[in-house]
Amino acid sequence: MTTEFDSHVRRMVAWHFDPDTGSPFWLERRPGLGFDPVRDVSTARDLLRFPDVSEELRTVPVTDLVPRGLRERPFRVFESGGTTGTPKRIVDSEARGRMLAWARDRLTDLGVPAAGHWLHLGPSGPHVVGSDVARHAAMGGGVFHTVDFDPRWVKRLVGGGRGALADEYVEHLLDQAATVLHSQEISVLNTTPPVLEAICARPALHDLVRSRVKAVLWGGMSADQETIRLLEEEFFPQAVVAGVYGNSLMGVAPQRVPRPGDSHRCVFEPHPGTTLVQLMDEEGAEVAYGERGRVRLHLVTEEMFLPNVAERDTAIRVEPVPGASTDGLADIRTLPSLGRSEIIEGVY
Amino acid sequence: MSPHRPVVIDPTVAGRTVPGVDRAPLTGVAGGPLAEVGQAPRLLAVSALRELRGQADGTPPGAEVFRRAARLFTEATLDGETPAEYTRRVTLGTGLTARTVRRSAAEIAAEMADLTAVARAELPGTDFGPGRRTRWVPRGRLFAAVLASNHPTPNSSWLQALFHGYSVLVRPGSRDPFTPRRLIAALLAAGLSPHTVAFLPCAHAVGEFLLKEADRGIVYGGDRAVAPWLDNETVAVRGPGRAKALLDVEPDDAVLGHLVESAAFDGGTRCTNLSAVLTTGPVGELADRLASRLSALPALPASDPKASLLVLERGRAEQLEHQIAALRETLDDHTARFDRHDPFVRLADGSFLPRPLVLSADRADHPALGTELPFPFVVVAPWREEDGIAPLRRSLVLNLLTPRRDLVGRALLEPSIRKVTTGTALPWTSAPGIPHDGSYTQFLLEPKGLVGDGAS
Repeated sequence: MTTEFDSHVRRMVAWHFDPDTGSPFWLERRPGLGFDPVRDVSTARDLLRFPDVSEELRTVPVTDLVPRGLRERPFRVFESGGTTGTPKRIVDSEARGRMLAWARDRLTDLGVPAAGHWLHLGPSGPHVVGSDVARHAAMGGGVFHTVDFDPRWVKRLVGGGRGALADEYVEHLLDQAATVLHSQEISVLNTTPPVLEAICARPALHDLVRSRVKAVLWGGMSADQETIRLLEEEFFPQAVVAGVYGNSLMGVAPQRVPRPGDSHRCVFEPHPGTTLVQLMDEEGAEVAYGERGRVRLHLVTEEMFLPNVAERDTAIRVEPVPGASTDGLADIRTLPSLGRSEIIEGVY
Repeated sequence: MSPHRPVVIDPTVAGRTVPGVDRAPLTGVAGGPLAEVGQAPRLLAVSALRELRGQADGTPPGAEVFRRAARLFTEATLDGETPAEYTRRVTLGTGLTARTVRRSAAEIAAEMADLTAVARAELPGTDFGPGRRTRWVPRGRLFAAVLASNHPTPNSSWLQALFHGYSVLVRPGSRDPFTPRRLIAALLAAGLSPHTVAFLPCAHAVGEFLLKEADRGIVYGGDRAVAPWLDNETVAVRGPGRAKALLDVEPDDAVLGHLVESAAFDGGTRCTNLSAVLTTGPVGELADRLASRLSALPALPASDPKASLLVLERGRAEQLEHQIAALRETLDDHTARFDRHDPFVRLADGSFLPRPLVLSADRADHPALGTELPFPFVVVAPWREEDGIAPLRRSLVLNLLTPRRDLVGRALLEPSIRKVTTGTALPWTSAPGIPHDGSYTQFLLEPKGLVGDGAS
């Protein structure tokens, strides 16, 4: 089923564990693995043999993550949201750009305008999504509008019982969004479900968005089925509403085109070339189609090798569309708590 | 197998059921599944607020709708639910006795049938001479009610708002979605315009959102639930009642019986149930006598006709046990000597019954004084003249059993004492016009001048 991915895995494992091309991070860990990755890893299934090193991404010097074979390339560092404590860091040079080009095609398949200007009401700075959305706008020849948006500050407010202040912060973001929308032509709005809820709760702003925007993209946090229905049918019926699942580590998994008989309104598909998402039960076995499992992520590019990462999300496993081999993911949920630090979901 | 399958309860907006929401199981006090309750996400609340606000014009539905609905509520089969099935569900959901649930339903219906009298009694005259009138009108269009599950009667708060012309969004208590759902079904069957009401079981955060967005609202709950709304003039706050009594007379049988009933009526679940007694007499002796009487109350499942005490499911019982263990560290337990039962009795049906509990403190300013628990729970403490009014503060009801007449006036002047009863009048004794906690009708309505030949 995943033979193409299997050979990609073999090539990439050989690359990451070659002393000339691999990253100091993985080369250092090779002796402690208890198996020889170059000899013993031949299929995607073997990725499950690797330890989940994602916790170490919170502290490892990021230069250790850059493969020696790519030292000439310029790298950027991105951080995870910081929902579960200290953020995890990844490095990226070109791989994410290739994934975004693929994602752009997926979004235009859904009816998102190929050209036009974008407004991003979400994190930027160390968070990868801001840079992603800027690149989406650029790929279509559009302009990228945004506002300063600090999700960690909001989480700190919510976590500290200062929800009223968090609400005020969101209002501040919305005021800025309204200013942009009043004078600028915006085709695509990219934001999070909580911000969309706040927009919908402000009738004048909701009317403004509704009258201007041709596509509403949501991501960064999960949305339940009824919320998706309300966004699509009631609040933005004239626009394309599409979800994009993803994060700094896994990349983006845009919603695929709905098909007759789909069990869910919104089914996400990860990037088949570099990303494998498996949904596991509590015993560590993959769940059947239609069942809910915990997200286990394998990201395999020449820049980052992140096998076997247990994510904080669960999802329903959906059969691949005919002719494809990638499972769909539906009805994403965040686990109530992980380890010691409680997950605080804010506006992103 | 239980003959009763869990009932599915989904949000309703303007008469439409919203079936696509996530559902949360409601487990009954005996441990079995009782209902699957659809949880309205925030965007559904946004949508409901928008829809109701779009249609709200402030026109009251008319007293006749409420009179008809009152009868249907107590007598009719609504959404396939008979009155007996309603009682069973609330009993299993809340742990209140079936008797309390039936009595509450009758009380709600009686008030519903005569909301005009309540309003008339709480409003001043409107005739100020020829061509000079006032009219009392709603202070806004939308009303949000965030309910708790301790007792069904607080539902009358949103019924009053609806009666006066508000459109209402109800967030039921998590253990009693049944009462507001049935009331709404009765009102719709009685002719209420569907676009005036939304029923939104939801997370607490969504309930807070409703309170924030509505023009007026009411919130019931513990200290934590109500804290954000204490200084908010658009939200009426109904937190723990901390009802107290000052016992400054020799307690005879009648007085002791009165105190026991004040503490234990409806299983101690009302916000007006007695939580503390301050006494000028010997503290230990009074605590013993109250404990002895309370220990005579039987330990029976809530469905038993002779039952009078609240039961809980295991999880809440365990939580309460921890809370009580902490209280016992600084207070003396008087119940253990008189009660032959364990503090938490495991009943045959799987529910847990916390036994009435009397503890005593050695001083009037003990921090545990005013602790409110959802079963007959009384802290007895000493009071001396020089303690003054301070230990009696923060009381929804203060019962004065004292010959010191001046205390009545001083208590009434104390802002945090909301009602005063004297002698053996029970704390919840009321009549239209006797405020529960300030004038609720004037919280809902405001007067407007209407002057000229159109005023009549």
